[in-house]
Amino acid sequence: MDVGQMQRQLVEYTKSLFIEGYLDSQFLQLQQLQDESNPSFVAEVVSLFFEDSERILKDLTFALEQKIIDFKKVDAHVHQFKGSSSSIGAQRVKNACIAFRGYCEEQNVNSCTRCLQQVKQEYFIVKNKLETLFRLEHQIIGAGGSIPMVELSF
Amino acid sequence: MAVESEVVVVGGRGEKEHFHVLAVDDSVIDRKLLERLLTVSSCKVTCVDSGDQALKYLGLLDDLHNTINASSPSLHSSHHEGTKVNMIMTDYCMPGMSGYDLLKRLKGSPWKDIPVVIMSSENVPSRISMCLEGGAEEFLLKPLQLSDLEKLQPYFPKFPDNSCEGESTSADEDNDQDNNHYNCNSISKRKATSAEPREKSRSKMKEYN
Repeated sequence: MDVGQMQRQLVEYTKSLFIEGYLDSQFLQLQQLQDESNPSFVAEVVSLFFEDSERILKDLTFALEQKIIDFKKVDAHVHQFKGSSSSIGAQRVKNACIAFRGYCEEQNVNSCTRCLQQVKQEYFIVKNKLETLFRLEHQIIGAGGSIPMVELSF
Repeated sequence: MAVESEVVVVGGRGEKEHFHVLAVDDSVIDRKLLERLLTVSSCKVTCVDSGDQALKYLGLLDDLHNTINASSPSLHSSHHEGTKVNMIMTDYCMPGMSGYDLLKRLKGSPWKDIPVVIMSSENVPSRISMCLEGGAEEFLLKPLQLSDLEKLQPYFPKFPDNSCEGESTSADEDNDQDNNHYNCNSISKRKATSAEPREKSRSKMKEYN
């Protein structure tokens, strides 16, 4: 695959992430904040998001395993996760968190457990997608190419 | 003197200082985002992760006794280790002290005249009015974008030829000022190249050829 093909592949892949709703305009804002003076900004923020998310998921799993569930605590964790996913533009994760909070309010154990699985799933999917995105970018740079800008209308 | 693309405030002794924002947020992701947004807007940023840390930084918290030093003599106005704080931006929802609690403490302290901006991921009108009535200058909704930082422009120091208020990119003419130098080139340029604000529709898809 030559650089041109790789670049086209990256553009198509990036567009698909937005079209399929995995990412929203906030991710574009992160990309806008990256420049020559701060060339790894997006990767750094996303990396922090991965670390933070995995910590939150552990805490959530633990909280929902308790005999007596502290729904306030569960809600606090979900609120945190909703915030961080929103800040990086991980739309599906954010939406799963919003639904989750609804069930926390109802103090519905079964629904909360289901929501946790949903949130976990969405998280691992977007993590995989973002890692693929970064891999494609690295391949292009490694081959001496530059990352093409993707402009989208919402 | 070299032209620096930074928001520069002339201090009391005539030395140049940067507009310094103290950012308070318990989320590491939001701290990083805010730090970048402010840096791109040419501000100096200090990040802390709680209201307590913010009060400590401002010299309002006595470590030993954990009490508020409202009348601390160390407050030769707003200096900490020789660094002036020009604005405080705080998240609303934080464990322990909330952004609102922090706001109230600041307004009851020698720091009461420093503008405080509150940020929140939740759009709750009663919360917004409460914060504004409590003395907050602005209430910003998360996730933050560059367009939100533009709302803070009025609080940055103004100079006679400030051309950053509109979309104008005629800031080049201002570069000849010597000491009172407010170079907003970086902000204007970024406006020209940044994505348009959420409300506007974006340009059509660009295919890579």
